[in-house]
Amino acid sequence: MIWVVLLVVLVPFTSAGLSLLVGHGGEVAERGIAVGAGALGLALAGVVAFPHLGDATPLAHVFAATTAAGPPIELAFYVDPLSAVLLLLAHTVAFLVQVYSLGYMHGDPRYPSYAALVSLFTGAMTLVVVADDLWVLLVGWELMGACSYFLISHHWELPEARAGAVKAFLMTRTADLGLLFAILVLGLRFDSYRISTVMAAIADGGFGRDDLWLPAVLLTAAVVGKSAQFPLHTWLPDAMPGPTPISALIHAATMVAAGVFLVARTYPLFLSAPAALNLLALVAAVTMLLAAFYALFTSDLKRVLAWSTVSQLAYMFGALAVGAWSAGVLHLLAHGAFKALLFLAAGAVVHAVGSTSMTAMGGLRDKLPDTFLTMSIGFGALAGVVPLVGFFTKDAVIGATWDAALHGRLVWPWLAWLLFASAVVTAVLTVAYSLRAWLMVFLGSPAGADLAEGEVPEIAEAPPSMKVPLYLLALPTALGGLVVVYPEAVLGSGEYHLLHPELGLVMTVLVALTAAVVVRAWRRSGGRDPWRPRVLPQPQVDRVYDIGLVRPVMRLARLARAGDRDVIDAYADGAAAGAWGLGRVLRLAQNGNVQGYLMVVVVGACALAVVAGVVA
Amino acid sequence: MRTAVALNGLLAVPALFALLTGLLSRRERAAVAAAVTGSLVTLAWSVWTVSSYDGGLTPGSTVDVDWVASMGIGWRLGVDGISAPLVLMTTLIFACCLVALVRHDPPGGGRVGLAVLLLVIESGVLGSFLALDMVLFFVFFEVALIPMWFVIHTWGDEHDEPGRHRAAVRFLVFTVTGSALMLVGFLVARTRTGTFDIVGTAASYDASGPLALTASLLVALGLAVKTPLWPLHIWLPDAHSKAPTVGSVVLAAVLLKLGTYGFVRFWMPLTSPEWLLVPVVAALAVVGIVYAALACLAQTDLKRLIAYSSVGHMGFVVLGAATFTVDGVQAAVYASVAHGLITGLLFFVAGAIKDRYGTTDLARLRVLYGRVPRLAGVFAFAAMASLGLPGLAGFWGEMLAIRSAVDPAAALPGTTYAWLAFVAALGIILTSAYFLAVIRGMLQGGPVRPVHGVDATVELVAPAVADDVSAVRTPDLHALEWVAWSPLLALTLVLGVAPGLLLTPVGDAVAAFFGGL
Repeated sequence: MIWVVLLVVLVPFTSAGLSLLVGHGGEVAERGIAVGAGALGLALAGVVAFPHLGDATPLAHVFAATTAAGPPIELAFYVDPLSAVLLLLAHTVAFLVQVYSLGYMHGDPRYPSYAALVSLFTGAMTLVVVADDLWVLLVGWELMGACSYFLISHHWELPEARAGAVKAFLMTRTADLGLLFAILVLGLRFDSYRISTVMAAIADGGFGRDDLWLPAVLLTAAVVGKSAQFPLHTWLPDAMPGPTPISALIHAATMVAAGVFLVARTYPLFLSAPAALNLLALVAAVTMLLAAFYALFTSDLKRVLAWSTVSQLAYMFGALAVGAWSAGVLHLLAHGAFKALLFLAAGAVVHAVGSTSMTAMGGLRDKLPDTFLTMSIGFGALAGVVPLVGFFTKDAVIGATWDAALHGRLVWPWLAWLLFASAVVTAVLTVAYSLRAWLMVFLGSPAGADLAEGEVPEIAEAPPSMKVPLYLLALPTALGGLVVVYPEAVLGSGEYHLLHPELGLVMTVLVALTAAVVVRAWRRSGGRDPWRPRVLPQPQVDRVYDIGLVRPVMRLARLARAGDRDVIDAYADGAAAGAWGLGRVLRLAQNGNVQGYLMVVVVGACALAVVAGVVA
Repeated sequence: MRTAVALNGLLAVPALFALLTGLLSRRERAAVAAAVTGSLVTLAWSVWTVSSYDGGLTPGSTVDVDWVASMGIGWRLGVDGISAPLVLMTTLIFACCLVALVRHDPPGGGRVGLAVLLLVIESGVLGSFLALDMVLFFVFFEVALIPMWFVIHTWGDEHDEPGRHRAAVRFLVFTVTGSALMLVGFLVARTRTGTFDIVGTAASYDASGPLALTASLLVALGLAVKTPLWPLHIWLPDAHSKAPTVGSVVLAAVLLKLGTYGFVRFWMPLTSPEWLLVPVVAALAVVGIVYAALACLAQTDLKRLIAYSSVGHMGFVVLGAATFTVDGVQAAVYASVAHGLITGLLFFVAGAIKDRYGTTDLARLRVLYGRVPRLAGVFAFAAMASLGLPGLAGFWGEMLAIRSAVDPAAALPGTTYAWLAFVAALGIILTSAYFLAVIRGMLQGGPVRPVHGVDATVELVAPAVADDVSAVRTPDLHALEWVAWSPLLALTLVLGVAPGLLLTPVGDAVAAFFGGL
């Protein structure tokens, strides 16, 4: 079993290397490696994960360690139910993305490097999920940032792809410093980098708030960047110029999911650090609402989905902040399923229409029946429609914030109330933007209906390689709610308080009312956008970063360059003016008179030696 | 006996092959073949030497012969876990450089002369890394420097003759002045110890009092020029950017390590962490990290940018050493080796770009992803390694330097070092920023900024053939470039994945050499 864990990490990396080395050899090679390794990785992930679901004993093993002063850096792995479910999620989505890309990226000359990066991405996420050593986790964590950088700029001919990639990398890497320093502080405090050891030490008590608030807050900073939460939320929507399957990978199973995973993994630390929990709750409350508003008004299909990811991730952080660990983790899994489905379906739509703008869509129900069916399930789950998976997990999250507001002790009461109110309003907004997108894409009058006969573009359903993953993802999206009913089977026995029937009823009524309002608005608009699209005033964080950081840095940079030039020139001018000592050496050396130069060196050295001798 | 053969042989082999190459200079092919063979034999010899050392500087495993007995100067050579990685890195880099010379005729011709000089430099550098005697270190240091002056002066940037002459002179004046100061420092230290033997000195030196401080300060000054430490770095950008490709590779990958190695081997034993000098050195290193990154952000020339990036990377090395901890020295050695591999690769790529397009001006180079995808891919890989991506070699040295700064030796001011660690980490972000800017502009393309008010959408070919742009096909990487670069690529990956390979032996050696660190 231990070696299977190592294999499940190695297979994606090996496949990435093979894709790069021999992938250019031919179509069979490039596709076979990508999909074959994806399937193998998924099978191995299953072998590792299934025995560790439920009440099984976690698996821990150290493969190698450095000997050094201070705590060793170890290649240590740890598989418990949390790792197991995320391993399954990551490898399932990655495999489906590889299959889907056969159709979506067909004919792309850069397919080999694309497939290699997807494999690398999967490997990095695997590393994060099974790591028991903080440094190993950091390796996977930052590797994902680099992979997303290269994948977002896959179409590097587009200026917005270049810009989005740089922004994603720099923003997340800056936040990653939080993780780095958290690791350093934890290493100092606990004399170990093993996650399981550190968490066990915290759970045993003996460490007070004063010891733990700093690493917890640093970790919070890292996950806020990685999971695109306010105020570092702007990189995720700007990452949309990347190929759509990549968005599925980033939003559902890797990268942003890693932020939630890290909090869940180091949960004992957060539970002992109220400062970090309060911060997390505040960030979540602000982010979920803000992102939902953006999703409501943007007219770009992929950006709607991107903002919805930001908003849904905030739900997970909200749940984790009030102590509802299982609700947060289950919402992460549910979101992984339906967001992968939504992005892949959106890819099918974009593939057919050739644009990501929802104004260019409309009336696609009949032309893309498979996409319509599966994406409807996805939107339903996002909006929280009974009995899809999103209903159950979102209900669990909102229920947890409600409990926290009434009698929680982890975060300040007003913050819990704020979180609850924000969660309810966001749920309503989620219904509104999901329904709007669904209506604008699939119903109403087709775009271009006013064009002449020959100008209407041909729209055809995607090839089977793209359709099959949609149906495979629709399955857990429709039936995943069962896990919320029987969480013990997955997360192990414990006390769960995931079902809130009364609240569920209230929410369902709210969903229905919102839907009625949106549909009415949509009818009145004549089957177009239910409300006027408007550009929301962006919170000026990007401007703040620009004025407060980027410009001063660039000014300093020019200063540094000019400073060096002036220093050198001043010195050269001084020499030219006949400053004797240095100038003479200069001239000698310039003449190429090496003997003369050597003399100067020797004499100079001796003179200094004499001076030294006198001093001595 | 075996030790003496191994260690003296390691110095003699490149020198003898340099002689042989010189003798064959009439027949260019044979001479180049001899030089390449020499570098490969040296590489093999160094592998043999290192694999047969028994893990310490004990009397049986070192060479110790009186040289100038009256002054206490000895021919003392030895190799341990601190110098072994640098020795191997040196012989590898020189082998790569000489293999690269096989096909590449340097501008101005005279390839044989360049090969001879490279072998002489190799001998000098290896001598510096093996020397266990302060004066011997100084002597070999000089042996390595002077041929470098010829390399820059004669084979440097062919478009800018006055510029390369100026760069060569600046390089020489700065480093020779620096090494003279270092020698004086050694002489002062000898008044306390009576010997130039560094092993004995490290074990028993009493670093206290104004005289010891003077010695340490002088040695630090000398090494700070060589490393270089801000603000004594101003010779470096010129020298590195005007040198020919192999010269830049050797300068950055190997010659800078003389400075950092000197800090570890010859400065730390002479220094007490209780002096204010130590945090000052650490602070200068950190200033250098940030300053170099800022300067890189504003550079318009690829070679200058890579040159400045070295200043930042060396800052991490010195920061690690200036913590006076075992893991700090581990970090210093690791970062030195990693920088040698990665920056060597970066300069090779920059040279390849210059060969193809006749310029390294970032304002003129565009869309290399589309024109030479493999070359561009190698650059992107090296850039990622240089900006410290985990899983590649550049990461561990710098992260461990930061770690050691968070937890420095007990005698050092902890809070100051924690802040230094934080600022150094910001330098990593700035490093990411400038490499991404280069990838975005040079590899991916983008708007060409007007230069001096003129639209600079320049043809991407050498000026001589610029008339018909479409007719010029720029070849992607050829076989010899793969051969010369692939060891660097592979080792960057290996050291990134398996840091224990290097950390463990270095850690043992540091504990043995410094005793009570």
